[in-house]
Amino acid sequence: MNLELPLSEDFGTHLSDGSKALEYRIARIDPYMSLCKEIVVDFTGVRHANSSFVNALISGVVEQHGESSLSILAFKGCNPVIKVLVEAAIDLGLQKIAGKARA
Amino acid sequence: MIFYIPSDIQGAGLLDFIGDLNGHTNSSGDLSLDFSRLKRITPAGLVIIAANVLRLLRLERAVHFQGLESCSIAAYLQRMDLLKICGKSIPENFQRHDSTGRFVPVRPIDHRVDQMGHEIALCLAPGGEEYAQPLSDLYELIWYVFTETANNVRQHSGGLGCAAAQVTRSAGMVRLALADNGRGILRSFQAAGLEWSQHLTDTEALAKALEPKISCKGEPTNQGVGLTLVSRLAKMTKSWLLIASGTGMAQQLPGREMTFSQLPNQGSFAGTLIVLTFRQDSVQAFADLLHAAKIEAGLLQRPRISTIFKS
Repeated sequence: MNLELPLSEDFGTHLSDGSKALEYRIARIDPYMSLCKEIVVDFTGVRHANSSFVNALISGVVEQHGESSLSILAFKGCNPVIKVLVEAAIDLGLQKIAGKARA
Repeated sequence: MIFYIPSDIQGAGLLDFIGDLNGHTNSSGDLSLDFSRLKRITPAGLVIIAANVLRLLRLERAVHFQGLESCSIAAYLQRMDLLKICGKSIPENFQRHDSTGRFVPVRPIDHRVDQMGHEIALCLAPGGEEYAQPLSDLYELIWYVFTETANNVRQHSGGLGCAAAQVTRSAGMVRLALADNGRGILRSFQAAGLEWSQHLTDTEALAKALEPKISCKGEPTNQGVGLTLVSRLAKMTKSWLLIASGTGMAQQLPGREMTFSQLPNQGSFAGTLIVLTFRQDSVQAFADLLHAAKIEAGLLQRPRISTIFKS
């Protein structure tokens, strides 16, 4: 099963609220990580997002499901700023895993 | 008690103003703000007055405005909606014009942070919402900084916030200011139950708030990178950044490292103030700026992962 999440339909064109992103992640991404072969987070139509939103949406997924989540998650329709935000959110999740491993 | 607002509230005068105003707002009884001497004020000065007046009104203290009839910039104060947000009203003897490309009046920060950010960025960088326009990068920087800081105001200040901004066409300077009258950064850490914050000073709490991965809200809602990245972006764009909270202040002068100190004159700001001033032409290729800011803050350590992106 594949899942596609059209963020502009669900949130609009400007995404900044980390608490909304967290609710979305818990309801719309986490439950499907073990069920789906691919989850496409679709940023098509999103003009801008900030670090708080994208980190809350993605970092926790990577932290919770490990590096293997990168073989399930894919990102579509990202403009150059959103690409930076997504890469950093993934990096943050991986840094947290590494931090736990060191602890 | 009467507080005579000084003639010039900008630059170094702003810091003195915070301390002087605080001395008067902390006294008991009615407060009269006398505007008769005021000649120059930046958006930062406006939001400082607004946040303080709203705080006093919330405490059911009476605040009177006087001397407006002899204030040479009374119409400007009206046009910037300072009087309106403070619940004051005097007749307007001028015509309001579209402020696009010039200024954003003092506005309360409400739940529509995404939309407010868009409106403010659009006002300061007209046309920038479209890709590859001359002001696109400026629009993106303003939207990013505003939303990261305004969401902090809404989510953990516990108070009311307001914002104002201005572009000076001749010098091409952008001035953005946000202030709230909430609990401030130190007490936000303490309210979040962060044990290490119990014995910090306001200045130490400010320094902590600018470290990556330190959040007042706690995980997983927030990863504590918003203010950190705002300070890194300010450094890269050679901006002047001032953050004041309680008795502490963090200041970054263009091209310098961030410094932390106490506000002068035993000053204190009841809440948090954030002021960013930068040149319009210092903002280019926002995606690259953000990428560099993330690397410098240690928030992006791996090489780019292109395989996760689909066209």
